[in-house]
Amino acid sequence: MFSRSALRSLASEMRWTAPSTISSAAPLQQRACLHQSASLMNSQQPQSQSTSSHPESPLSATPRAQDTQPKNVKASTFDENTMTPQTRAHVPIAKQPVAPTFTSPLKVTKSLMSQLPHLVGQKPHYVVAQLHARPYLLTEGDHIRLPFLMPKVKAGDILRFNRASALGSRDFTMKGSPTIDERIYECRVRVTGVDSEPLRIKEKTKRRQRHVKQAKSKHRYTLMRVMDVRVKTPDELLAEGAVVVDESADSSVIEPRS
Amino acid sequence: MPLRGIRTSTAARNGAGAFILQCKRLDFHYCNWAGSSKGMVAFLEKTLPTFARENPQIEIRVSPRPQKHPLIKGLYINGREKPVCVRNMEPHEILKKANLLKEASGEKLKRVKKPVTSLNESVRGIWSPYHGDLRGV
Repeated sequence: MFSRSALRSLASEMRWTAPSTISSAAPLQQRACLHQSASLMNSQQPQSQSTSSHPESPLSATPRAQDTQPKNVKASTFDENTMTPQTRAHVPIAKQPVAPTFTSPLKVTKSLMSQLPHLVGQKPHYVVAQLHARPYLLTEGDHIRLPFLMPKVKAGDILRFNRASALGSRDFTMKGSPTIDERIYECRVRVTGVDSEPLRIKEKTKRRQRHVKQAKSKHRYTLMRVMDVRVKTPDELLAEGAVVVDESADSSVIEPRS
Repeated sequence: MPLRGIRTSTAARNGAGAFILQCKRLDFHYCNWAGSSKGMVAFLEKTLPTFARENPQIEIRVSPRPQKHPLIKGLYINGREKPVCVRNMEPHEILKKANLLKEASGEKLKRVKKPVTSLNESVRGIWSPYHGDLRGV
């Protein structure tokens, strides 16, 4: 009923048709994300010298948290059915990640703005990211094994941690109250897979009973890798539409090490 | 200046820059005769083509294994393999197992208590009693 030659032909057919009919969301997003990281890496290097880091980002009143927005550029020569996507422009708009929308621009105090260059200039940085009210102290390249299975993510997805209670370098720490505004920094992590623990067997007993119940558990956990922890420079913040205010009660502060 | 040991030049950190899926190959074994392979044969005919198309980075091999229960075997970049017996399973259950093998890291299962493992040096350094300001009690 299922001969080897038939299967072989089926498999070869699958291989041949594979690159031509990629229409699902997952590989497209992965490739889009890869491109995003590559372009970001490239754009980071000149940022240290030049002040106008993002000439293409608009100076709007409602600033954007992320410099990787879904762009409405559509490559005219790109055919979705025959080619694998190489850049973000090849991915349909409906399948691109959605940037958060903010109602008010980022407000930065003068003291924070004056101390921010010290923090930015001192590398490496760490971030205390909050996830389900648990702190994770992360630096670039760290491996995370979340104590739970994160739903609706696949291997290769890129996430942004946008709740951070602290952000710092060797001598300076920016503390949030309770969290730092997500537009000040960038912490991206990539989902690398799902891990499992070895099967645990717990013996449950009752008094005066010979019967022993065995309770088994084998949980699954999401694996991640921190791609970058980056603090934005004051120029970048201003370019993205940050507003400098005198004082405000619930603003994050930078403390030098005592 | 303290004496420093020789550093290794690189350490594998998959996903920090580029990301490579750890599962490189999936072997599907079935038996034409046995009843425990019924769901597996249906899976190979119906579901596997779409699964293979969605995962072009994984090599997929299908081969018969007569007089044995059906099996999916995942081979990983680190050289380990993970076999899963799928006897008497329905096609949708087998798809779940295939996805499990696809997303697995290939490492041996361990009980890990700390969520974050880092290869980097401590950012803030190690506290020293001889440095820094004196602080009042």
